[in-house]
Amino acid sequence: MKLPAALRLSPEWTPYVLLSPFVVLFAVFGIFPLVFSLYLAFQSWEPTSGLGAMEFVGLGNYAFALQDEWFWKSLKNTAWLALASGVPQHLVAIPLAVFIHTSFKKLRNGAVGAYFMPYITSTVAIAILFSSLFSTDYGLINVGISLLSKVPVLGWLMPANPVDWLNEPDNIKPAIAMIVFWRYVGFNVVLYLAALQTIPADIYEAATMDGAGRLQQFFHITLPSLKPMIFFGVTLSVIGGLQLFEEPFILTGGRGGTDQSGMTTAIYLYRMAFDFNDFGAASAMSWLLFILVAALTWVTNRAFAPRKGSA
Amino acid sequence: MQDKSPGLTRRHAGLAAGLLLAAASGAQAQQTLIVAAFPAVDEIVRAAIPAWKRLHPAVEIKVVSRQFSDHHTAMTTALSTSFYLPDVMALEVGYVGRFAQGGGLEDLAKPPYDIAQFRSRWAPYAYQQATNRRGAVVAAPTDIGPGTLLYRTDLLVKAHVSEAELTQSWDSYVATGAKVKAATGAYLMAHARDMKDILIRTGIQPGEGLYFDNQSMVLVNSPRFVRAFELARQVRRGKLDARVGAWSNEWSEGFKRGTIATQMTGAWLAGHMNNWLAPSTKGLWRAAPLPEDTFAAYGGTFFAIPRGAPSERKLLAWEFIQLMTLDRELQLSAFKSQDAFPALLETYDDPFFEQPIEFLGGQSARVGWRAAAKRIAAVSVHKQDAFADEVINTELDKVLDRGKDIGAALADAERLLKQRAFR
Amino acid sequence: MNSDRLAPWAAYSVVGVGALIMLAPFYFMFVFATHSRTEIFSLPPPLFFGDDFFNNLKILTERMPFWRNLGWSLYVALASTALTLLFCSMGGYAFALFDFKFKNAFFGLVLGTMLLPSFMNMIPTFMIMDALGWIDQPKALYIPGAASAFGIFLMRQFVASSIPKDLVEAARMDGCSELGIYARIVLPLLKPALGTLGLITFIASWNNFIGPLIVMRSPEMYTLPLALRSLQSPVNTEWGALMTGSAIATLPLVVLFVLSSRQLISGLTAGAVK
Repeated sequence: MKLPAALRLSPEWTPYVLLSPFVVLFAVFGIFPLVFSLYLAFQSWEPTSGLGAMEFVGLGNYAFALQDEWFWKSLKNTAWLALASGVPQHLVAIPLAVFIHTSFKKLRNGAVGAYFMPYITSTVAIAILFSSLFSTDYGLINVGISLLSKVPVLGWLMPANPVDWLNEPDNIKPAIAMIVFWRYVGFNVVLYLAALQTIPADIYEAATMDGAGRLQQFFHITLPSLKPMIFFGVTLSVIGGLQLFEEPFILTGGRGGTDQSGMTTAIYLYRMAFDFNDFGAASAMSWLLFILVAALTWVTNRAFAPRKGSA
Repeated sequence: MQDKSPGLTRRHAGLAAGLLLAAASGAQAQQTLIVAAFPAVDEIVRAAIPAWKRLHPAVEIKVVSRQFSDHHTAMTTALSTSFYLPDVMALEVGYVGRFAQGGGLEDLAKPPYDIAQFRSRWAPYAYQQATNRRGAVVAAPTDIGPGTLLYRTDLLVKAHVSEAELTQSWDSYVATGAKVKAATGAYLMAHARDMKDILIRTGIQPGEGLYFDNQSMVLVNSPRFVRAFELARQVRRGKLDARVGAWSNEWSEGFKRGTIATQMTGAWLAGHMNNWLAPSTKGLWRAAPLPEDTFAAYGGTFFAIPRGAPSERKLLAWEFIQLMTLDRELQLSAFKSQDAFPALLETYDDPFFEQPIEFLGGQSARVGWRAAAKRIAAVSVHKQDAFADEVINTELDKVLDRGKDIGAALADAERLLKQRAFR
Repeated sequence: MNSDRLAPWAAYSVVGVGALIMLAPFYFMFVFATHSRTEIFSLPPPLFFGDDFFNNLKILTERMPFWRNLGWSLYVALASTALTLLFCSMGGYAFALFDFKFKNAFFGLVLGTMLLPSFMNMIPTFMIMDALGWIDQPKALYIPGAASAFGIFLMRQFVASSIPKDLVEAARMDGCSELGIYARIVLPLLKPALGTLGLITFIASWNNFIGPLIVMRSPEMYTLPLALRSLQSPVNTEWGALMTGSAIATLPLVVLFVLSSRQLISGLTAGAVK
């Protein structure tokens, strides 16, 4: 299938040709909504009145957002949840990946599979399951806690009475964090496992011969080699954490919970748009959130400097 | 495909007919009306199709049904762009308020609809509910939810209290609750919030809504709210509420196990209790009017015509709405099959209302409910009502759980609401 | 690899307990699928399998065109995966191994869109779909997603780390056409990443319900998550049937995962480990 020279694609034109389907789709489905949302952020718009009802208000929406107590409350909630669900994910995923990597040969796929399963569940199923599991009087999580509290040492750490997970504002956040952790830790285990497989075995052998213990090897060989993957994983967690929407949405029935304790900024945006019918403010807030996420991503990037070539 | 319900076959026919028509638009031959709804209103609409066909054999009805909140989100989206609007949309009362203030729905008070001529045929408050501040009537009521007090008669008997004591006044309601708790260990209500919810609906003046008045002034720092908060706090302090949220597992379990003695709710809850919430408690519940002669509504459905819908079908849409809301047989059959309490007053003389309800121990509760339906007062709605609802609930929680002072709580709520009253 | 192995029992027990915790909710999903809604809704919830599975299935198929919805979910997910793999691999290759004007700016823009919450796109997306006449058609679901920012990011990283530029140069010098290089050299080397992206795209498409909510009008055209949601209402949810539907909906994903797990692991390595 050699085409005549005149028709053959030159290396100069190739990237444009290769990218064109993506660019076309992206322009239509990625850029237009972006521009629309930017435009909307400067308008006051009550959606059910139709498109013609937009009124220009300049920076009014931004001003409103910045002095809105609920907006700041949602940012605090989001930050808390992003940290509380994100940090344990990585702290747990790395040792887990190391364990699986070193001790599981035949059962490796099974082990990884078990951890990855939560990632593929749909939110509908999660909603029902976890509302039942977190139920105060007979939910299995509280049952588990009460069983554990009979164990001598651990018992001290366990709360004495059944925990009201879904209604107490102080408990909603940990409940959400647990669900997010459950859902995504497997994803990170897979990432780290993949990265571990690229560390050559000889480095470890050499270190052992030099007398380095297992723990030392972990801190001096494994962790530094994992740095690029940690960067990738943490970036994804930062972005995902700041945009947390599905898990709190389903656990609190779309409202954010008592005292808006589970209301992340993404949920607040959704409510502003569809519950309180204030699309202009919702757009303005989504851009403020965007700025925040972009800033934090940049910070993460710097934190992991020096950067690799292709990032 | 594998679905055997007749409704689906009709929908297929409707789809085919609709496609045929698409080519020959404007032809009077075959048309399709699209009705957007949610469970269980969708069943009610489908059940009405035979009656419709007798009137308009050439017009198919296609029902697009979505989950409750998805439906309203989809309607918001459709209204916002005027694309793909249904010909008729079902709306729950909570959303009618929001949609009514914008200009997205047809004003049915104007010609050719002239809904005002039917005004006296429906429960008055429901009609008003669909009337916005400028006097436009944006929807027609199809079912309502008259408020009632469901209580466990066996628990009251055990505590030696009578229904009269329970319902004489709010204070006596709370006092009775204490007696019931002492004698049987059962809670008076599911959550102290229910107390607040009903009390803020009492004593509303004309021109006032729940949280805002017609000039968007904030009303929450007022005696009505203070009393509501105080009584709710009293209930909590007396440990008379089970602290469970409505529709949670613990709530339904509370009914099954008899740990919740009363529930203020719409009349339709009795049907749910019978069907799946707590069928084993059949015969133990009774319905009473709300204490202190209070009348309120819990829920209700309306039908509206979007302004942006294709105009050639609007008259047909209006005819369909009239059929659903003004036809005595259809209203009654919806009542009998789906527990949809009719908004149509002329159904109220049907013997069905006098029939005893087994679940309520043979009580003919519908009689009381129908009397209540006529006495419910309408409450103006405001665009920020949904937000205000949350703010007040949050402040109430702080009062109940953290001992916040009521004055401070209401002042904080007022401050938050003032910031948004005019948005 | 550590030469003295971790005491096997320590590793097994930690990983094992964790795995049980991960899997427990699934177990309950399948258990709940076999119970009626009053049983599920009671406290304590059922711990073992019941006998209402077929009853639930009956309710499921009566209330919605379940198998048809399942079919649509499958169709859309497969189409979405195929298109995404094609467009993102082409794009990722272009970004990684070529230089062209505005390359970095454009890539930044693409990544930037990953930072905006997707439901803010609901209304503009709806407007576009209507303008194109794609409402109520499956293409509205699988075509837009093919321009996936995550996909092109992943592909770019992978190409950059696993395909040396010299290989491409050598092929060029051998007289291979540009598109031939893409098809015969790059694509085969991309297999692990394709497997990974394929799996992730399939899962995302399968579980997506906001997209269908916006563009689908008729229940016959719904995909599974949306259809299952229609079983829910504040007052009358068929929990048993819902769990049955969710359990059945999860099965294809499980199968897919089992088949592609090896690809997944090597694919996710991507250029992140460079």
